[in-house]
Amino acid sequence: MTLNWKRVTVAAAVAVVGVLVAWYVILPRFQPHIFGGAVIQSTQRVPRTELMSADGPVRMTDFEGKVVVVYFGYTFCPDVCPATLSKLATSLKILGDRADDVQVIMVTVDPARDTAEALKEYVTHFDPTFIGLTGDEAIINQVATLYGVVYEPAEGSAGTGYTVDHTSTVLLVDKEGYLKLVLPFEGSAEQIASDIDYFLG
Amino acid sequence: MSKKVIIRSAIPVILIIAAALAFVVFEPIQVLPRIRIAPGYLLVNQDAETITSEDARGAIVLYNFAYSGCGGDCAAMNRTLEEIQSRLDAVDTGDTEVRFVTISLDGDGDSPDVLRDYASDLGADTDLWQFATGDPVHLENVVKAGFEVYYERGDNGTYAFAPTFVLVDGWGVIRGEYRYQTQASDADKIVRHLGILGEEVRNSHGAASLAYEAAHFFLCYP
Repeated sequence: MTLNWKRVTVAAAVAVVGVLVAWYVILPRFQPHIFGGAVIQSTQRVPRTELMSADGPVRMTDFEGKVVVVYFGYTFCPDVCPATLSKLATSLKILGDRADDVQVIMVTVDPARDTAEALKEYVTHFDPTFIGLTGDEAIINQVATLYGVVYEPAEGSAGTGYTVDHTSTVLLVDKEGYLKLVLPFEGSAEQIASDIDYFLG
Repeated sequence: MSKKVIIRSAIPVILIIAAALAFVVFEPIQVLPRIRIAPGYLLVNQDAETITSEDARGAIVLYNFAYSGCGGDCAAMNRTLEEIQSRLDAVDTGDTEVRFVTISLDGDGDSPDVLRDYASDLGADTDLWQFATGDPVHLENVVKAGFEVYYERGDNGTYAFAPTFVLVDGWGVIRGEYRYQTQASDADKIVRHLGILGEEVRNSHGAASLAYEAAHFFLCYP
């Protein structure tokens, strides 16, 4: 039997193209999204507690249809909070137009000093769409606890007064109002953007 | 019957046996569901030190809820904890610590001194097994709203509550809830679940982590 070299070449070419398509086009579709944090699988609703923004009362459940990014911090925060907020602002820039369906919220862990107005001025410095929320100490304690966040006033320098140690996780709430993802403080802006993108659908 | 026919008809049987063998050898990965975020808390332990949910980050923690005056009602729960503690050596969680925290529901009555006596009555190694309580209002947020364990203070200083264990991973996510079960056989289940969590922690890097994430999506729950 003699080999038909033309046929062999065509078959080889088809096989190579097939493998390339499978590798670069089909396989990635079946690969699970790699999250930057822990995904909550059951249906954990965000608390409906009413908090206060400079523009009136706000509930976490007011944002259905948007992916909500929740962070707990305070305006006197020397390091972690500004770093996280500017990272979140970068994530929104990466998302471009898709960021229209994202709401970033910072809830204060220092309600004694953070007025709604001070919070607004602080968070909008990072991105004009950010919202800052405050409330009674009892309500903040309740909301923080349910988000797995703990905070404790600590001693600070003479210049800043006291500081507040607090959990630095970033929490993602999906469009239906379910708490879905816990992200560590170390996550990159790119990773956060891709996780938000996943929940935007 | 010719030899060929016999061989042909044997092939499906051999394939089925091989598949069954493969299933036994390559057990499917088991994972515990990620149920809810565990509540943040700030409590005071038996040594009058503040302990928070942040201290627990990175460790696997088994919580239960009791109070020093609970007597016989807590005996079964404490026996279960003692049994788990004695069987921990058989559980491989790699570098990840396993700890126990008993949260007292009696924030007013259970001072650090009382908790320390309670711990020593139980023979607890407090490096491993801590006892803590806190401000009653914060306690309600943590235990009732966060851990979803209901309790009610009675007139005579006793508490009505459902004996419950809650297993929390290093991310601060609730991975197991064991309710209304006070029999010692709970220990078997919890020890098995600790092993599953340990395996997940040990495999949380590289290609194996992908298989674990996939297992979460395909719901391979024990």
